Amino acid sequence: MLAHFWVAFAGFLLAILLGEWQMYVRSPLHAWVNNPEHYYRSVTAHGTVMAYVLPTLVAMGFGYAITELALKRPLVGLRWAWAGFWLVVAGTVMAAATVASGKASVLYTFYPPMIASPFYYIGVVLVVVGSWIWVALMSINLRAWKKDNPGRAIPLAMFGNVTGAYLWAWTSVGAAIEVLFLILPVALGFKSTIDAGLSRVFFSWTLHAIVYFWLMPAYIAFYTIVPRAIGGRLYSDTMGRVAFVLFLVFSMPIGIHHLFADPQVGAGFKFVHAAMTAVVSVPTLLTVFTIVASVEIAGRLRGGTGLLGWVKALPWDNPMMLAVTFSFVMLGFGGAGGIINMSYQLNESVHNTQWVTGHFHLIFGGAIVIMYFMIAYDLWPQLTRCAPLPRGLINTQLWLWFVGMLVLSMPWHLVGLLGMPRRMAYYDYSNPALRPQAWTVTASTLGGLLLVISAFLFVYVLARAGSSAATPAPYTFSRTAYANERTPAALNTFGLWVAMMIGLTVVNYGYPIVQLALLKETSVPAITIGGP
Amino acid sequence: MMEDDRLYAWGNPWFRWSVVSFVVLAVLSFLVGFVVLPSVQRDYTAGGIWASICRAAGLPANWGAGTATDKASQPSTSVVLAPAMALPGSSDAVGRGATIALQQCSMCHGVQGMSEANAPNLAGQYPEVVIKQLEDYKHGHRIHSFMEALSRNLSDRDIADIAAYYDSVPKARTAPARYSESSAPALVRVGDPLRNIAPCIGCHGGTDHKLGAPWLEGMPKEYLVVQLNDFQKGTRRNDSHGQMRNMARSMSAKEIDEVADFYARRPKGEGG
Repeated sequence: MLAHFWVAFAGFLLAILLGEWQMYVRSPLHAWVNNPEHYYRSVTAHGTVMAYVLPTLVAMGFGYAITELALKRPLVGLRWAWAGFWLVVAGTVMAAATVASGKASVLYTFYPPMIASPFYYIGVVLVVVGSWIWVALMSINLRAWKKDNPGRAIPLAMFGNVTGAYLWAWTSVGAAIEVLFLILPVALGFKSTIDAGLSRVFFSWTLHAIVYFWLMPAYIAFYTIVPRAIGGRLYSDTMGRVAFVLFLVFSMPIGIHHLFADPQVGAGFKFVHAAMTAVVSVPTLLTVFTIVASVEIAGRLRGGTGLLGWVKALPWDNPMMLAVTFSFVMLGFGGAGGIINMSYQLNESVHNTQWVTGHFHLIFGGAIVIMYFMIAYDLWPQLTRCAPLPRGLINTQLWLWFVGMLVLSMPWHLVGLLGMPRRMAYYDYSNPALRPQAWTVTASTLGGLLLVISAFLFVYVLARAGSSAATPAPYTFSRTAYANERTPAALNTFGLWVAMMIGLTVVNYGYPIVQLALLKETSVPAITIGGP
Repeated sequence: MMEDDRLYAWGNPWFRWSVVSFVVLAVLSFLVGFVVLPSVQRDYTAGGIWASICRAAGLPANWGAGTATDKASQPSTSVVLAPAMALPGSSDAVGRGATIALQQCSMCHGVQGMSEANAPNLAGQYPEVVIKQLEDYKHGHRIHSFMEALSRNLSDRDIADIAAYYDSVPKARTAPARYSESSAPALVRVGDPLRNIAPCIGCHGGTDHKLGAPWLEGMPKEYLVVQLNDFQKGTRRNDSHGQMRNMARSMSAKEIDEVADFYARRPKGEGG
């Protein structure tokens, strides 16, 4: 587990430096980058590490931790877990080396006809295969526990964890099909043309659902760690389960909202996907309600009274309290932005602008990654047998991250509305039309700087923990407010929800995929990146 | 104790409500997406409800059938670039190509592909470029009195062989290690994003080379200026999708001169 976290955070540190460099070179503080390819190479590395490697490793490490802590038994298949870990590491090194050599500047979204070196794709495939081992292990461990504990409700943390695993297993199928059957034959040189439209539809299957896989650890932390850490009770265990299964069912069949501007998908399916995307906001709203209610319980237990008096009574010096507040604020802004992205008409005005970059930095880099920090802080005493971590430093780190992320992403939202395209290596600030927007890029650069400082502080706190040994108290997850809450059978198994997940995917993706696959003469010449 | 009543049974409210709301949601969104919304768009409803559903599903059958193809949409080239065209030819092809080139091309393009007559250098030119241009001359997509006449009698194999030959000759010169701020004009290095001018080195070699874009280092200046002017005026139009016409359109005469000057420059201490 520790290995997962360390590799994840080491990669995170490197990638955040790249991100800041990208911001800096395209801000007015720096002359135009002389070789734009370096910029795109950096974007690819930053995105690959932040979007694929970091969350996958965190989810895997946290998943193994939950299995041992929530089921209270050793992990079955430890050797397989190590095999999965080394596959992820090997894949990451392979992909990173290919990106660094300039053979894979495809911007980490697998959008053909751009084709990178096969080593990049094989590296990413290894990462995914490593994570599939994790999926299998989570399922096997749950099954073993169920066999020994017939009739008992699965602990909520494990329920969420396995939901995340199943979600990921099905989610990754889209991109896996794309890479194995469409991209790799071209990258390896067996073919010179590629069906770009079909590839993008497959990628959209993975592209949006993957964010719910990133989000799962954060939501598990909301439900099972936050109430305990701030001295409250979880308001409803059932609500947590409902939120998790709703993610399972509705995260997949909505990806076409990333293709609103693509001509190969019909308008009808675009609408259906937009409508289903709206449904995904339901589990988040449920979660916000439940967690705020749980926090209120903490406030009242600490003697807070009146309509808002409990807010004052909350433990504001507790890092978890701070983090969940920051996370919800960013989730609120990010979620509102997301609803704009998913609506078919509004999307027109922000499609492929800096708005989108701002959106996912706020919601993933902000709301979710701040909870990754808290997961690491929370588990660290258990994993390393160290003394409690210094609260003051952690609070500083969280503040820096929160302020930095807002300063980084709010200007992006603003200029996105004004039409600034994303993924540009430089902007011509000498042009009178762009001159007034120049300060926003400088602002984002400064926000990025705060994030870099915060990231280093984070790793420093974790690294220094090893110097003071102590025996931590046994680890617990949060207790529910109503101790004898009954768990309905539907929320203690996955069969129904997995069936609905696959069913809805077939309904929403079946026709577009079959239709595009059968159309003739849809392939276009592939453009290999890093040519002579 | 958890309720252990059967999950997959209509009597279980969780099962019933999940399935019902699942179906209702799916049916409703499909109805809105495929029937209601198309019915308020005039171009969707033409041809009845079934046609509008097909259109919403993205079925391309009969889209735009019967609309006359206007003259402007006539293809600018009939050549489809394929990566296979860029592969080096066999020694046999190079030999045949050399024979044809010596007889028909060397007068203007030079024996070794280095022109002394302000015709483009062909030494080391990418094979797919030579193939595309000769095909375009042959089919009247690119206009030049000599070249149209000369290419008319060339078979596809002749053309491929000539391309293989020139590919085998060393280039006029290789790219500089770095296109620095002091030596290369801004348009060459970074283009001008607000005028939609891409950097030359993004396609013509330097940072990246795109299929079909010719090697420009060492080209005669006069040739480059004439071509850029022709693209600008639209008298040369064999660039697919107007790629070069769109670049040249907003370039000033001074910029054309600078860029051509840069590619034709003779660096100090270089033999040729």
